[in-house]
Amino acid sequence: MSIEIELFGQLLPSAQRRQMLIMKRPLLVQEIANILGLKLEEVGLITIDGVQSEKESSVKPGSRLCFFPPMSGG
Amino acid sequence: MKLFRVNMNQLQVNWEQSPAVYEHLGGRALIAKLLLEEVPPTCDALGPHNKLIFTPGLLGGAGVTTAGRLSVGSKSPLTGGIKETNAGGTAGDTLGKLGIKAVIIEGQTDKGALHLLHIGSDDSAEILPADDLHGLGTYATSDRLQEQYGADCTVISIGQAGENLMLGAGIATTGEGDQRSNIAARGGLGAVMGSKGLKAIVIDKAAAKTVTFADAELFRTSSKRFARDILENPKLGPKGGTHTYGTAAITGAVNEMGSLPTRNFSSGSFEDSVSLRGEHLRETILTRDGQIGKRCMPGCVIACRNNYVDENGDSIVGTLQYETIALVGSNLGIGNLDDVARLNYMCNDFGLDTIETGAALGVAIEAGFAQFGDTEGIISLLKQVGEGTVLGRVIGNGAVTAGRVFGIRRVPATLGQAMPGYDPRSLKGNGVTYATSPQGADHTAGNAFGARNQVNPLGVEGQKELSLKLQIISAMLDSTGLCLFARPPVIADPQLMADMINGIYGWDWDKDDLDRMYRDVLRNELEFNRRAGITAADYRIPEYMREEPLAPHNVVFDVPDSELDTIFDTL
Repeated sequence: MSIEIELFGQLLPSAQRRQMLIMKRPLLVQEIANILGLKLEEVGLITIDGVQSEKESSVKPGSRLCFFPPMSGG
Repeated sequence: MKLFRVNMNQLQVNWEQSPAVYEHLGGRALIAKLLLEEVPPTCDALGPHNKLIFTPGLLGGAGVTTAGRLSVGSKSPLTGGIKETNAGGTAGDTLGKLGIKAVIIEGQTDKGALHLLHIGSDDSAEILPADDLHGLGTYATSDRLQEQYGADCTVISIGQAGENLMLGAGIATTGEGDQRSNIAARGGLGAVMGSKGLKAIVIDKAAAKTVTFADAELFRTSSKRFARDILENPKLGPKGGTHTYGTAAITGAVNEMGSLPTRNFSSGSFEDSVSLRGEHLRETILTRDGQIGKRCMPGCVIACRNNYVDENGDSIVGTLQYETIALVGSNLGIGNLDDVARLNYMCNDFGLDTIETGAALGVAIEAGFAQFGDTEGIISLLKQVGEGTVLGRVIGNGAVTAGRVFGIRRVPATLGQAMPGYDPRSLKGNGVTYATSPQGADHTAGNAFGARNQVNPLGVEGQKELSLKLQIISAMLDSTGLCLFARPPVIADPQLMADMINGIYGWDWDKDDLDRMYRDVLRNELEFNRRAGITAADYRIPEYMREEPLAPHNVVFDVPDSELDTIFDTL
């Protein structure tokens, strides 16, 4: 079981932008951020399969999880 | 401060001290009040009774970072209602330093005669024949006038679209150095300028370095804190996405949220969006020795512009921005920034709004005049706008006109104006703004993208309240000359804005005064539109967007009309 993760913008600049994470059970966003070494206070938007989500959200196998930095629309 | 009144019938310029009724107003607030006082709301927007207003915001010329925007206002020939649209460049800053509250263009010349207005640094102003500029694009017009009047003057101009009274026409302004393509794009105000017989305005560089301050210390401390707060903001500072990637920083997120206009708003997700992201834009530009992190106004510390160059390092367009990428890129099925940049340059040169034109091209493609993703076919269509062919004029008159002529009912517009780069079905707060703002479908009137953490973008609850709050904030920013990106510090502490204004003018405003003043902007705009005969039906989101689910979330715009119709009850 795996999920697809993508990091956007200036988040974790040295990390691979897109990666697959194998997991044995559904994980919380917070847990996945910890695995990546990503500080959630630096994150402006989290989406799971395109839906805005929170750090407490559960990520199911087969999902796509995206982390975005803080952003503004002009 | 002075008002310059330019009579295009008599080719005379008169200046007057600003009347008391306009004393506390600038930018969008001044436009709303002045149009309500002086322009018959039912007048022909391209006729002699309409007026075209150029005005800096209240902070213009004072050296506040990000506060040099030029507001342009008029009755819109596109929406039939009131319109304010603004741009960077040096015009707003220069007018402020010259002590000019507004330049008001009245009447119109004999049909076909073109003129330019020259404003000197010594309060002088004259109207001169400009038939030699007929048919020139905005780049050539700016080049020629800067050769004549000096490289440090500001040139405001229209291109072929404005001359031909196309409703998708905007107004271009120059910036620092050889900067072009700052466009007050929306609402077809380039056509109003063309209808006046005014090809360009040249403003000499101001001799004064700043304005006179009533309380220099208050201004200094508050404006310094404002700049510091922006620099320390994670979105806006030197490490923030807006500076690092430009406005295209949001492309990936808007696509992921399913709101990126794709193939005439038929999908909210584009399979080639990776190639349109800010990250890709930055990498491409830097690889080719182009420039990122440039500013569009003197003293701006956010600096979100870029100079997009080709493989040889030669400029294609400066700057390539998110809304253009969305409407001229994914909305046309184009996933290549080089192609988007070429189309962007053409729009800028013809003096076209890329949002309106991108939407009109999407409608034209749906009608079979080209294929989605066929850049050369799309360029051929766009060329015809500049040439003024019948087909080109249809496209140049915007999405609604294109839909009517081509028999397409899937037209993404409200109040006659095309939607910007956020599909309202999956970013419903923006849908509420499109469906209620007196400015029509205009993200700058209240963009909910930045407030996605406050309200679920896909839900209905809270969208009305969010949009109203954002519309009031936008009215404030547009009236002071501030860039929309600069809103975080003044939202966090509105007194900071009041202190900067008080420091310049010696007023005693507090945050409640600000709130009241900027609610009045919306009240005046809504009243103008009401008197113009605009009803709730004119503001509605198109029917197909309430019925056709949008991929990938398969959502429709389902905010009830009862919510939309009561949004201003608490204004």
